[in-house]
Amino acid sequence: MFQLLVAGLTVGSGYALVALGIHITLRATRIVNFAQGEFTIIGGLLALTFVQLFHANSWFALAGATVAGFALGLIFERLVLRPAARSGEIPLTIATLGTGFILLYGHALIPGWGSLPQPLPSFSGEASDAINVGGVTIQVQSMWVLGLLFAALAVLYIFFERTYYGKAIRAAANNPTGAKLVGIDVTNARAISVGLSIALAAYGGTIIGPITLVGGAGGTAIAIKGFVGAIVGGLESPVGCVVGGLLVGVIEKLIQGLPGVQYGLSDPIVYSLLLIGLLLRPQGLFGARSAVRD
Amino acid sequence: MIARLRADSRTLPILTLIVIVFGIIAAGNPTFAQAGTYAAIFAIAAIGLSLLMGNVNQISLGQAGFFGIGAYAVASLTTNWNLPAWLSWPLATLIGIVVATLVGLGLGFIALRFRGHYLAMATLAFGLICVGIFHETKFLGGAIGIEDIPYPRFGPLTISGYPAYWFAWILALGAALLTLNLLRGRSGRAFEAIRNDELAAEVLGVPTRRYKIFAFAYAGALAGLGGSIYAAFLGIVVPDAVSVPLSISLLLMVVLGGSGGVSGALIGAALIGFLDISGHQFENTREVAYGLLVIIVVIMAPGGAFGIIRSRFKASSAAALPTCHPELVEGQPQSHPTTATPRTITMPDTSAAPLAVSHVTKRFGGLLAVNDVSFELTRGTLTSLIGPNGAGKTTLFNAISGIGRVSEGRVEIAGVDVTGLQPHRIAALGVGRTFQNARLFGEMTVLENVVAGAFRTERTSFAADLFALPSSRRSEREATERARETLARLGLESLASTLARDLAFGDRRRVELARATASDPWLLLVDEPAAGLNASERAALTADLLKLRDAGMTLLLIEHDMRLVMSISERVMVLKFGTMIADGKADAVRNDPGVVAAYLGTAG
Amino acid sequence: MLLEVRDLHAGYGELDVLRGITLTVDAGEMVAVLGPNGAGKSTLLRTISRIDTNARSGSIVFNGHDLLRASTVQGVRYGCLHVPEGRQLFTELSVDDNIRLGAFTVDRKNIDAEVAAVYARFPALAGRKSQTAFSLSGGEQQMLAIGRALMAKPRMLMLDEPSTGLAPQIVEQIFGILADLKRGGTAVLIVEQNAYLTLQHADRAYVLENGEIALSGTAAELNADPRVRAIYLGGSADEG
Repeated sequence: MFQLLVAGLTVGSGYALVALGIHITLRATRIVNFAQGEFTIIGGLLALTFVQLFHANSWFALAGATVAGFALGLIFERLVLRPAARSGEIPLTIATLGTGFILLYGHALIPGWGSLPQPLPSFSGEASDAINVGGVTIQVQSMWVLGLLFAALAVLYIFFERTYYGKAIRAAANNPTGAKLVGIDVTNARAISVGLSIALAAYGGTIIGPITLVGGAGGTAIAIKGFVGAIVGGLESPVGCVVGGLLVGVIEKLIQGLPGVQYGLSDPIVYSLLLIGLLLRPQGLFGARSAVRD
Repeated sequence: MIARLRADSRTLPILTLIVIVFGIIAAGNPTFAQAGTYAAIFAIAAIGLSLLMGNVNQISLGQAGFFGIGAYAVASLTTNWNLPAWLSWPLATLIGIVVATLVGLGLGFIALRFRGHYLAMATLAFGLICVGIFHETKFLGGAIGIEDIPYPRFGPLTISGYPAYWFAWILALGAALLTLNLLRGRSGRAFEAIRNDELAAEVLGVPTRRYKIFAFAYAGALAGLGGSIYAAFLGIVVPDAVSVPLSISLLLMVVLGGSGGVSGALIGAALIGFLDISGHQFENTREVAYGLLVIIVVIMAPGGAFGIIRSRFKASSAAALPTCHPELVEGQPQSHPTTATPRTITMPDTSAAPLAVSHVTKRFGGLLAVNDVSFELTRGTLTSLIGPNGAGKTTLFNAISGIGRVSEGRVEIAGVDVTGLQPHRIAALGVGRTFQNARLFGEMTVLENVVAGAFRTERTSFAADLFALPSSRRSEREATERARETLARLGLESLASTLARDLAFGDRRRVELARATASDPWLLLVDEPAAGLNASERAALTADLLKLRDAGMTLLLIEHDMRLVMSISERVMVLKFGTMIADGKADAVRNDPGVVAAYLGTAG
Repeated sequence: MLLEVRDLHAGYGELDVLRGITLTVDAGEMVAVLGPNGAGKSTLLRTISRIDTNARSGSIVFNGHDLLRASTVQGVRYGCLHVPEGRQLFTELSVDDNIRLGAFTVDRKNIDAEVAAVYARFPALAGRKSQTAFSLSGGEQQMLAIGRALMAKPRMLMLDEPSTGLAPQIVEQIFGILADLKRGGTAVLIVEQNAYLTLQHADRAYVLENGEIALSGTAAELNADPRVRAIYLGGSADEG
């Protein structure tokens, strides 16, 4: 049972990072980025490329993928989001769907990325390393995933809550007019937010790489479950997104572990959570009522 | 909108011709015929999505779910029951469509609560749940699906291979025709009004929620039909075929082809249908191209392929139509006061006051916007409501017309308690309303706007519109007549074919007034009609308002222009911070020291 | 002349909100813009601070810079600060954060002295440093908005109806602070509904009606002019 919990938290970390990335982009652009899951997969593939090209270890690859993700995010904002925003909110959302589509099918076209999913080298020791805590076996890699998740959360927290520039970016998202009146360039702030969001996606795709494997068509599933996590926890709340993502991972693994339950049933149940969440409490566990209503 | 429908109606025969020509070419080429058949199948589902997105401004990522309902209905029923061949597929399809429609009504109801990306996610969840159900239900074949689905057979004719192309396209073009009927009638106008400005549509009596639910149900029904044909044509149905990628493909078709109306959906479906036959080696490149195309279209040509075609139409027909562009210099209105005989306004036979407000209070959180306001209007009079900025006047109007609930108190209109009723129900009683910023339906012509205003007088239904029944056509004629009369009454006939968003500012207000009075309401609420008008426009406005009053209408006006207010009002009420501080004849109110202090402040 | 607006025309679509406005503001003076609702007062300020970019013709020159060619952010750098109707605070950030962000264009590190000065001017804020701007009362929000604007060391401060919804003592307090700023050389351009009170503190005033300047003069002149009341309440100057 505890095993399932750890497995759930591990896979949930991936969802949590997707959800958090969606939240950051939402804050900055007021729309949901439906390509977030695909960017996560790309992140993992980027890390793999770093490992193969530079014969580097996973730590170097993590740094490289994150920086590359940031650059990708800036490009994404400049080439897709900014021009499409002129056409309206729904067209902008469709543009993110289009981007996701391109990434989903396009990444296989890049040499080396189309092959079967493969694991990233582990962050320490062997991939199968495990420790024994009170009779329960925990994979070392799982601990890395959780650890790296919290490391990222800590960095983001410090940036947004304790640095002047981070607060300026929040201000630009909170009140663009007010930000302009104070001299903050809202367009730049927006671009940086999107960059951070995609960097986070790349980071997420990489840290689950040793366990969940990199590449393949998993992007859609991760994306959707990331959304579920965001909705369940609260799209407008960063804490909610993280907690929601972890929760979805745990619920998924618990359902899969239940005796007598078809393995495939976990997916529809998780998706039902999305609809139920939207119906009962669209603002999520941690969100405030105002954002959602007609 | 008329322009778009006209373009649509003219494009459809051309597309039909292309379908026929292609069908003849494809006679010897099974690959072409197959691609063409798939194009038709998806086109049917795309038409529904096109209506939903383009005409009603909703988004749905769950169309594949309805497609699946139709497909599985045919698959599971025709493989299991023992009906004569000519009945088997049609009956299964009918059942599938009925189920899809019912589910669509349900989804539409749920969808009312969401907007934008939340709506996208809710419909995505719906699609996923459908797939999940298909995947896990033994009767529906589970993960393996259902196979060996029989072809539809009518006597000696088996619908498979080449005949299927014609079969599918006949149904697709039939669906397109029905949809055009719908859009040409009152329902289409209601959709367009909702898309342009939902609130303005509500106060004209359009039950916006009902229409949005209908739109989802209609889109679902069409997708179900598509799925029914798909199942019988392919012979196999698996859950993966009716999942998210299909929903996204349909979305891409509608975006590429152009949403709104039918031609765009047909073009988009044909485009993707034919590109799909380009073979295995282009597999991923093809999809990347679709994605790129969608992004480019969204950025540069949001109207899709059909949007581009339409702008060609507009360019050529603009030369043909008489120019109706009002003089933009000096803001001279094209309209002029008229001497046409006004229609007399009749209130329901009752001795109750046209409007009775009792102890109405409205709070927004801690803010008290309207504070214990009570008054009664006298039939056939013009009363003005004035007060400094933020005094709560528009909030009070909203409370009366049903926009937002009052926190306390009661509103009675002609004796009927309307507190808490939806705006369209209040409008249906005979109440008209204009807004501070002239909420016209920008994409509709002046005439269409005013015809929309006559909504509550029309006697037709969704079904009548769909099949272009005589009652629908008659209702259309009468409403148009009425609208023309109303325009003539206000001297606006020359603007009838002008697009509302191209109007000079001075004309916008008068057109909104025409729209609000097209159904002959006996109570009219007018919010700041004079804002932004120059002197001659104000004179025209004053004349219009007095004319309406003289015809028997009861008017309640919010205004800031004091000279106007004092000159035409029999009674003036003053609101400050939500409280009524004066109520009486114009002169008395103007000299009331409390009123003076409210406007100019005191020396402190 | 610090600010010179000449023959400014602005509007949305076909609607002409400002029809040929000409006015000036000098360093160290308080100029009021009065007039009934819908006269265009807010639009005027928003056009100067470039939140509204609907100017059609005319010119706005501030300290030698052509504002019509500038963005809001550039205007702030030139020293033109706008405290709008609705204040536009950063509701989710703390009072302290709001104040510090005000110095974004000036200096982000060594602003402790300036921040302390703002708290000295507005003691009510000092007790609420870590509270979110959203939780403040109307009066405190207004003070915060002004304090935040002051951090950018404005040459001219524009305020849009600062007295709305505030108790008289607080309004007096605010006018006191504005007088202080004026003495320090900052120009103040203030839009207000409360005409008589504003005229007691301003040096000069303009009265707008339907997008045009109907009256202008020193505060004393306008205070005694019966036409002011006529503009607000209709009727001619001789009545009532």
